[in-house]
Amino acid sequence: MSTDTDDATGDGRKILLIGSGPIQIGQAAEFDYSGAQACRALREEGAEVVLVNSNPATIMTDPEMADQVYIEPITTDAIAEIIREENPDGVIAGLGGQTGLNVTAELAEEGVLEEHDVDIMGTPLDTIYATEDRDLFRQRMEKIGQPVPGSTTISLEEGESVSELTEEDLTERVQEAVDEVGGLPVIARTTYTLGGSGSGVVHEFDELVERVRKGLRLSRNSEVLITESIAGWVEYEYEVMRDADDSCIIICNMENIDPMGIHTGESTVVTPSQIVPDEGHQEMRTAALDVIRELGIQGGCNIQFAWRDDGTPGGEYRVVEVNPRVSRSSALASKATGYPIARVTAKVALGKRLHEIENEITGETTAAFEPAIDYVVTKVPRWPKDKFDDVDFELTTAMKSTGEAMAIGRSFEESLLKALRSSEYEPDVDWADVSDEELEEQYLARPSPDRPYAMFEAFERGYTVDEVVELTGIFEWYTERYARIAESTRAAQEGDFTEAAVAGRTNAAIASVAGADVDTVEQQVPGRSYKQVDTCAGEFEAETPYYYSARKNEFESGPLEGQAAAGELEVDPDVESVIVVGGGPIRIGQGVEFDYCSVHAVRALRELGIDAHVVNNNPETVSTDYDTSDGLFFEPITAEEVADVAEATGADGVMVQFGGQTSVNIGEPLEAELERRDLDCEIMGTSVEAMDLAEDRDRFNALMDELGIAQPEGGTAFSKEEALQLAHEIGYPVLVRPSYVLGGRAMDVVYDDDDLETYIEEAVRVSPEKPILVDDFLEDAVELDVDAVSDGRSTLIGGIMEHVESAGVHSGDSACMIPPRSLEADTLARVREVTEDIAEALETRGLLNVQLAVRDGEVYVLEANPRSSRTVPFVSKATGVPIAKLAAKVMAGETLSTLEAEEQIPEHTSIKEVVLPFDRLPGSDPRLGPEMKSTGEVMGTAEEFGTAYWKAQQAAHNAVSEGTAVVDLDVDGFEDHFDVETFDDVPGAIREGKVDFVVSRDRDTLEMAVEEEIPYLSTEAAAEAYVEALRSFDGELEVDCVSERPKRGAQWGDE
Amino acid sequence: MTEAYVALEGGHVIEGRGRAPGTARGELVFTTAYTGYEESLTDPSYEEQVLTFSYPLIGNYGVREERFEDDRVHPRAVLAKELTEDVADWLAEEGVPAVDHLDTRDVVTDIRDEGAMKCGIAVGDDVTEKDALEQLEQCKGMSEHTDIGSQVSVDEPVVRGEGNDGETVALVDCGAKGSIVDSLLARDAEVHVLPYDATPADVEAVDPDVLFISNGPGDPANYGAAIDLVQEFVAETPVAGICLGQQIVAEALGGTTEKMDFGHRGVNQPVLDLESGQVVMTTQNHGYTVDEPGDHLEVTQINVNDDTPEGLDGIDHDIITRQYHPEANPGPEDTLDFFDDVLAMADERAQRAVPADD
Repeated sequence: MSTDTDDATGDGRKILLIGSGPIQIGQAAEFDYSGAQACRALREEGAEVVLVNSNPATIMTDPEMADQVYIEPITTDAIAEIIREENPDGVIAGLGGQTGLNVTAELAEEGVLEEHDVDIMGTPLDTIYATEDRDLFRQRMEKIGQPVPGSTTISLEEGESVSELTEEDLTERVQEAVDEVGGLPVIARTTYTLGGSGSGVVHEFDELVERVRKGLRLSRNSEVLITESIAGWVEYEYEVMRDADDSCIIICNMENIDPMGIHTGESTVVTPSQIVPDEGHQEMRTAALDVIRELGIQGGCNIQFAWRDDGTPGGEYRVVEVNPRVSRSSALASKATGYPIARVTAKVALGKRLHEIENEITGETTAAFEPAIDYVVTKVPRWPKDKFDDVDFELTTAMKSTGEAMAIGRSFEESLLKALRSSEYEPDVDWADVSDEELEEQYLARPSPDRPYAMFEAFERGYTVDEVVELTGIFEWYTERYARIAESTRAAQEGDFTEAAVAGRTNAAIASVAGADVDTVEQQVPGRSYKQVDTCAGEFEAETPYYYSARKNEFESGPLEGQAAAGELEVDPDVESVIVVGGGPIRIGQGVEFDYCSVHAVRALRELGIDAHVVNNNPETVSTDYDTSDGLFFEPITAEEVADVAEATGADGVMVQFGGQTSVNIGEPLEAELERRDLDCEIMGTSVEAMDLAEDRDRFNALMDELGIAQPEGGTAFSKEEALQLAHEIGYPVLVRPSYVLGGRAMDVVYDDDDLETYIEEAVRVSPEKPILVDDFLEDAVELDVDAVSDGRSTLIGGIMEHVESAGVHSGDSACMIPPRSLEADTLARVREVTEDIAEALETRGLLNVQLAVRDGEVYVLEANPRSSRTVPFVSKATGVPIAKLAAKVMAGETLSTLEAEEQIPEHTSIKEVVLPFDRLPGSDPRLGPEMKSTGEVMGTAEEFGTAYWKAQQAAHNAVSEGTAVVDLDVDGFEDHFDVETFDDVPGAIREGKVDFVVSRDRDTLEMAVEEEIPYLSTEAAAEAYVEALRSFDGELEVDCVSERPKRGAQWGDE
Repeated sequence: MTEAYVALEGGHVIEGRGRAPGTARGELVFTTAYTGYEESLTDPSYEEQVLTFSYPLIGNYGVREERFEDDRVHPRAVLAKELTEDVADWLAEEGVPAVDHLDTRDVVTDIRDEGAMKCGIAVGDDVTEKDALEQLEQCKGMSEHTDIGSQVSVDEPVVRGEGNDGETVALVDCGAKGSIVDSLLARDAEVHVLPYDATPADVEAVDPDVLFISNGPGDPANYGAAIDLVQEFVAETPVAGICLGQQIVAEALGGTTEKMDFGHRGVNQPVLDLESGQVVMTTQNHGYTVDEPGDHLEVTQINVNDDTPEGLDGIDHDIITRQYHPEANPGPEDTLDFFDDVLAMADERAQRAVPADD
């Protein structure tokens, strides 16, 4: 059977593409990448694309990405409205993560799709259901003879109770269940309990009987699930692609270093597999193809296996799970292999066959092939461990990481060390204080973000590979290589640098451990050169400029120069080119918005005819797509490695303003490194010196004084005594934080001496090397954020945002609005003046973010940062002014006047609301405070504040307008919409399902609300805004595409 | 550390780390498979070649005899970025020189740009660049190995699966991989493995339901005896072939073959079935290809990348051949049904033959 491929184009078809909404734990930037790629692919085929996403910080929501862009809540109501307005022919469900799938399924169930004649393109809905329902999935797998982990339930019959059950009877039932799943150990899981309590691997029969007894008592439906334990098996993922003609290919497989039992998103993952023999690999490959065919998936899909070596040539496996859509793993697989899974999925959804889709990387071959890899890819997650003291970061089956870094090397060691460096994670552990026993129990046997480092430490202490294998359960092949890395570090300390260099350390790191200078190390170790990621292991000549660096072998030493350094690079050093340094892994305080800024910088440069190269290591992002830039360098972001890129490409400049703190931090060392190498390459835009000035408290204060700009009174303390003295001078409450922080880390408001002493002793341990800042805390002030672009002469204000939360809540966690609504014209004029003065004083060339507070008409500057900020995309989406692009162009030498850039003030109000990760982090404090905790954002726009705020709440899935509410804060108005009730035991009432909405600052109450997924508010400011929104919302949801929202050309603060 | 040098055609010498001692020479080729090193190293089609693994880490899951395709290692030498102890020890035992810590991607792209080339290898405590260059000088081109079949074939006929209920297969062993025989045995065939230079009388003695020409190393033109067998039997007996076997069938029936620049070696070669429109992934290991199939064969499958013939059917005779390796090992199992098709063809013929005998 063959599809009539004449229809397999997008010509004239209008397609609705649904994004995945805000960045959350478990759903990060990967869907911006896949959505953006799909938009391009569909439009290439002549289709008209209607895009909807609630997340403004994405590239996919840029006006040029689709024909119509809606930044609206991803809810059935909003999307139904969009469907009514746009009348699309089809919807692609598999590209917007679980969010996209769920909402598509709901739209189908509610009959909206049928009513408007909208086809579901690609994977059918039945398939989605079959993969989500455990029993249905088991049946389908059994039908095609695929082994799944054995599973059965022990349940009580109607009217039976656990206490009445005899020991004999219970033992018998447990024994039957154990036999049915193939013997001990098993996993016992109590169904329908909170947070999966009481589930785990059980090795002993007696223990199991007790677990079951307890489980039956706790379980709401009196059921305990017993499954075959595959803990300790190796976990694999296979990325599969299928077209409508049943051609199926495997894009790659991925091997989890951490054994089964840890979520793949939490595991260190390697591509391709290292330790499964060909026969085992082929068996799983064939199984993957059988499964994708059985399920009728069209497009990309991900299948998980557990595998172990049982002594047979191929080992044995189980099919664990199927993800019938593009996923985080497919983003990783795309970057790891160069195979554009989302692009191909989109074209397959149109009906194209794999061999009819061009492989853009080689230009000679098609999408009908399986990539061959000639390097090793390692991904390591990035956890917000530094943000949540109360959360246990033991790695489990639930994800807690916010992002990930990927690295490519020619050996596992090189790949692993590059990935660990890229993750920018440092364990907060002083290994000298850790006993052997603690090392074994807390850091080796217990999987945590620190485990790789603990393994190095163990080898340092003389542990053997066998011992570490025994403790960690990590396969010997990998453990040996961790040992080699530790060994190479020791050799470096003794003066032999080569092994450490080849293992993936930087020259700077080697110099530091060996106490040598970088020049000496550099002369003695093999240099790096660039290799191409080409999907075919060198078999065909590739055209796409996607590169990674690798050290030469030990037979060469000294830095490589000219063509040797360039390796396979296909860049002309005589062409003007600029490096844009990206933001690395997504973390709290540094999210997808910096990828948005980086991509805009690249596009701006290319518009000016300048070649743009990207250095970044986050596989989820658009910036690391091979066709975003003229040269993609998948590398750790260090001064040395960025300087290598500059040397090999002959770049004329480097932009470090766009990648958040990650890129800003390398500004100074990079400048020194470019100087050391005598490269004709400069750091563009605002000087490193000025960026440093802005972060240096004392110098910045002096500058503000000079400019006559008010600041909250404050100072720097180098000891506890100094801090107390400062606090007394200023008067409580004061805001305290360590200097040089990211996202308000360890920031707090303290109200008296006791608070302050506790803060110093427990949180930051102030010292002369680590001073803390003590500032007057402006209670009840209105906080503002301003994003601006300056060319050194004039300054363009992108937008002035007013925070909904008052001071005391981190600006990154506060909802904010554009334009502001509670400021007088003269205050706004002063804001403008202050911004312009600072821009001028810092000799800003590029972006500037200023944070201000207004109290009693006085405008105070809290912070100014001459670099991109997390609000840049929100500002651009609200105003239509692409400030990141303007900034890049200004940095490249253009002026605002030649660019004819003009300020725009939107007629509608746009709200940015944050999304918080507490449901993913049991034990965390769900109250908003000075420490930033949000992972992502949504945007709601409407004619006035109330409706816009309501839309934002809907987009954040926090909107509820009726039922029973608990209101502990002093805010009126909820009683008009809710039955406001009081309970003696509020958490208990929430647990019993008696409460639909919570307004409180009580931690226990809020933790229960989080656990029970009840919407809640934790501040008065938010509660007041919510009441206003409830009053404004009349049940009518209006949707508008972004380009149709009215704006007027006017100067901010100059009206 | 043991010295190791690899001299490439043109005289460029690269240094590596010696992992198994000895000197060797051969045609330098590469495979892009990242698993299946045991199967590849025991594949007779690599005879007289030096095998470069483009995947950098080789030997990760050890060495087990049950995964071998033959009882010895066939490439003359092995080049890699990193070999494990297991593989290095095995190669040393087998007397096959091995070199690692090479930039194999450079080697692969050289082969891609220049074509499969001659090379010389010297590994040992006292070897020098000169030793490698001397090996290079003595290196012959693949087609100059005119009796290469004798190095890889059985000497005498061997019967496998004697008394099996299924079809009788005469497998002309030009260097057959074990998995071809295993695939036939798994389908209950009785397999008579005949030497590469078997005579028509040898085949007649078997009275096969199908004449099956195996894979093997080198230039199909150097397998005159097998070409003769195809010509002799094609009218009365179904014919099948894999890899070199397809090329021999084409040569026998008026088609032509040619040497490729650097061939196809890997486990990800996409093949399009012209009738079904389906693409499957295949294992390949060949340096020659059918150029023109001639008047008696039609192309049924092609390589998606370069359109070379991957499957041939007889127009006026019962013939099916594959350029790739449906038996996998290493590589995808997408095309195992080829053996069902071959045996079905043989069975049909056997059924037809019954009444004629009556």
